[in-house]
Amino acid sequence: MPALQCEHLSKVYRGGFRKKGEVQALQDLSLAVETGQIFSLLGPNGAGKTTFVKILLSITHPTSGRAFVLDRPITEPRVRRKVGYLPENHRFPGYLTGQQVLTSFGSLSGVRGPALRSHIDSLLTLVGMQEWRDVKVRKYSKGMMQRLGLAQALVNDPAIVFLDEPTDGVDPVGRKEIRDVLRNLRNEGKTIFLNSHLLSEVELVSDRVAILDKGKLLKVGTVQELTTTEESYHIGYEGSIPEALRTEAAARVLDIVISSEGIVARVSDAASLNALIDLLRKHKVLITSVGQQRNTLEESFISLIKREIPE
Amino acid sequence: MNILVLIRLTLRELSSKATMYILAGISTVVLLGVALAVSVTSSADGETLMLFGQQVSPPVPAADLARVVQQMQAGLAGGLFTGIILFGVFATAGVIPDMLERGTVDLYLSKPISRWQLLLGKYTGAVTAIAINILYFLAGAWLVFGLKCGVWEPTLLTSSLTMIFMFAALYALVVFFATWTRSTAATIILTYLYLFILGGILQNREFSLYLISENTIYRTIVDGFYYLFPQISAMQENAAKQIMGLEMDWKPFLQSFLSGSVFLLAAAVILKRRDF
Repeated sequence: MPALQCEHLSKVYRGGFRKKGEVQALQDLSLAVETGQIFSLLGPNGAGKTTFVKILLSITHPTSGRAFVLDRPITEPRVRRKVGYLPENHRFPGYLTGQQVLTSFGSLSGVRGPALRSHIDSLLTLVGMQEWRDVKVRKYSKGMMQRLGLAQALVNDPAIVFLDEPTDGVDPVGRKEIRDVLRNLRNEGKTIFLNSHLLSEVELVSDRVAILDKGKLLKVGTVQELTTTEESYHIGYEGSIPEALRTEAAARVLDIVISSEGIVARVSDAASLNALIDLLRKHKVLITSVGQQRNTLEESFISLIKREIPE
Repeated sequence: MNILVLIRLTLRELSSKATMYILAGISTVVLLGVALAVSVTSSADGETLMLFGQQVSPPVPAADLARVVQQMQAGLAGGLFTGIILFGVFATAGVIPDMLERGTVDLYLSKPISRWQLLLGKYTGAVTAIAINILYFLAGAWLVFGLKCGVWEPTLLTSSLTMIFMFAALYALVVFFATWTRSTAATIILTYLYLFILGGILQNREFSLYLISENTIYRTIVDGFYYLFPQISAMQENAAKQIMGLEMDWKPFLQSFLSGSVFLLAAAVILKRRDF
């Protein structure tokens, strides 16, 4: 069963009084996220990531299309009993202490009594905020607010958690701790939906990634699928490659970069790759490895977004 | 249950603001002032109600003292009524705009609670906070008059229900403005504009708006506007009548109830349709 599913979701923000034009925030977006995954949504600013999450939580209404969370329509408030959410730039009431925030929002989620109190204890320990539990949140730093926000998102023991920039303002040690928390939650069978612009972090924790730009879904896949360039290969070698061989090799492939760290060749098909390997072998070049070339997630992301920008 | 949580949160929010303490402080100062100023002297001519050592009225038979005291209570309640309008609206106008701020509203809306429940919880919380202040003042005043004058008529206490009802009706209008504008300042300005300008013009429409045209449709629309808003002045008169043990006019109660329901419903519709 998918933890969330949406079909042909679109959102148009209409221009208000004296505001010309409309903004197409989402365009015909269809997507399914399986249970027990860390799913990340990437996209440049204004891509529609936050709008998408807000639609899934009924904070914003879709213009068309429909969506289901935990197999129920998103318009049913009770579906949110099993949903956790950490909004970007969240603001907790400053007059509450950390513990009161968790008690209040836990109660609003339908969790009450001794079960809530003991859960709050373990959550505060989990996010490293035990000693700040009785301090008013107006005194918290940005990083502490994020930690409390994460605890708030988990206070109702949700089956699916939406996290919008969860590591924003958190120091490197804290970011590592949050990544560990996310992995543990996944291991418990929970689904994590992550919105983040920190691509290196997304790459470290995500099972699947979707890339969104101008409201359109460009690509969905595992990190490996998104970072593997099918037509590019890395060939490891020992020894040196003379200039004449370089010229001859360049003639057999679409593009080639030869350095002391290896050869990166872009080829049109497997036959061209074999032809290149044959050429190298013929000139007694010792080949130590051959594999598909992998980019970082950042390189793949930028390449995909650039392709979408018209010349 | 969720509404109870929201009421508790709203009470906590309001109790964290200085305005509520100032309101309670003003009430306390007024009560202490009344306690020091009011006294009753007995003479052969009867009982005389004194204020700061001055006669409030000629000596009356002991049996009539309650009526004189109730007149003074009605005057005091009138002051409280104005105070509630001025300060109560000011103290609570921010409840809805604060909830609707980006980053806060997302947290509320992501919970398993419908938008109308959210609105109702916040509305009830704010009305409860002002109700506590009204009860504090009127119970205090009742105690002061009882101890100082020996008049223990319960009408001052029961008038608190009328005052709380009046504020509840008025606060529905405040909630409507707040949901529509999402701004505390705009909410206060619009409410005060109604209370001090539009409300007066509508109430005296025979001498103002009616003069613009004799057209029946126009005058019906003007009348419609008058009945759309809570009947603040009529409710104030009712509170005074209640304190003095006179018969009240129930029409303003019904009109204010309908007006409050309409404005709350309109606010709920705006909130339901809005994207955050």
